[in-house]
Amino acid sequence: MGAPRVLVIVPAHDEAESLPATLDELRRKAPGFDVLVVDDGSRDGTAAIARARHVPVVSHAVNPGVGGALQTGFRWAMARGYDVAVQLDADGQHDPAHLDALLAPVLRGECDVAIGSRYAAHTGYRAPLARRIGIALFAAVVRLAVGQRITDTTSGYRAYDRKVMAICQYDFPKDFPDSPLLIDLARRGFRLAEVPVEMRRREAGRSFYTLGRSLYYPYKNLLASLMVLLKRPG
Amino acid sequence: MEFLSRTQVIAALAAVGLALYVLELVRRRRLSEEYSLLWVVSSVAAAVLGFSTPLLRAITRALGILYEGSTVFFFGLAFATAMLLYLSVKLSRLGQENHTLTRELALVRFELEELRGDRPAMAPPAAPGEPA
Repeated sequence: MGAPRVLVIVPAHDEAESLPATLDELRRKAPGFDVLVVDDGSRDGTAAIARARHVPVVSHAVNPGVGGALQTGFRWAMARGYDVAVQLDADGQHDPAHLDALLAPVLRGECDVAIGSRYAAHTGYRAPLARRIGIALFAAVVRLAVGQRITDTTSGYRAYDRKVMAICQYDFPKDFPDSPLLIDLARRGFRLAEVPVEMRRREAGRSFYTLGRSLYYPYKNLLASLMVLLKRPG
Repeated sequence: MEFLSRTQVIAALAAVGLALYVLELVRRRRLSEEYSLLWVVSSVAAAVLGFSTPLLRAITRALGILYEGSTVFFFGLAFATAMLLYLSVKLSRLGQENHTLTRELALVRFELEELRGDRPAMAPPAAPGEPA
């Protein structure tokens, strides 16, 4: 068997402002990795930016959400024989310099999903109070559900191996693929591990977490987590 | 035929009118048979209650309701709730199907562009709803 093939999946919804810097940084800091942009129904020419840089881009006609974009990415990766996929945000929060560290435990076979965590080590990142309460709540939910401490359940910087992708390409939450997903994967017997990473503040565009979403988010993920627990493990 | 009030006559006639209109919508294929079922059943039930005062009285007494008008409102509300829940379920399913199709379409389009060899130069797809 040759070297494992790794695909970096960049879900992007109206990220024309941030995407050029993100793709350029990927090329500069992680030149060895294949990149796929999944354009989630953007109206601002996000897809054209990726094409101009000769990065393959799969375009959704409407926007099913970040989970839907990842699911498309997983299917693309599976069809093309990739062994590991990394999810990396288009908004510049995730530094490609951490890619090797994030991938290491997956490539060594120590875990099936590696989560880049802002809180696993002191990285200087300090979230607003409401956010910290939410983070603690969902860390507690995951811990109660699967007995494992995941400090950063909302991290969108993750690596998935092929076994996980095989399931996630067909069954994946369409929005907020966070705590319910992690609980579901752990209950299916996949091993999760956290890797300390630093994250930056968004460089452009608007945050994914608006007021309406910040109210809906806890409701949706608590309910979805409960539903995952009620589902028979399999 | 005995009626409790003029309102009852109006309600009964309106129910018959609604049932006929629903059937007409089905005939013109603007409403599918599947969705018409709840409407036909409820409007026929409303018409029967409207024209048969003894039946309306009996049901009102059996349910412990004091006033016949409340019985009509009760069934109306029950129907509206059932219909809304049914539509929410349908909407959730349509949403899921929509997302699955969106993903499939995106992947198929990618492969088509790849086969044609014109992928890198492609302009972004036109936004649906925008004038062509």
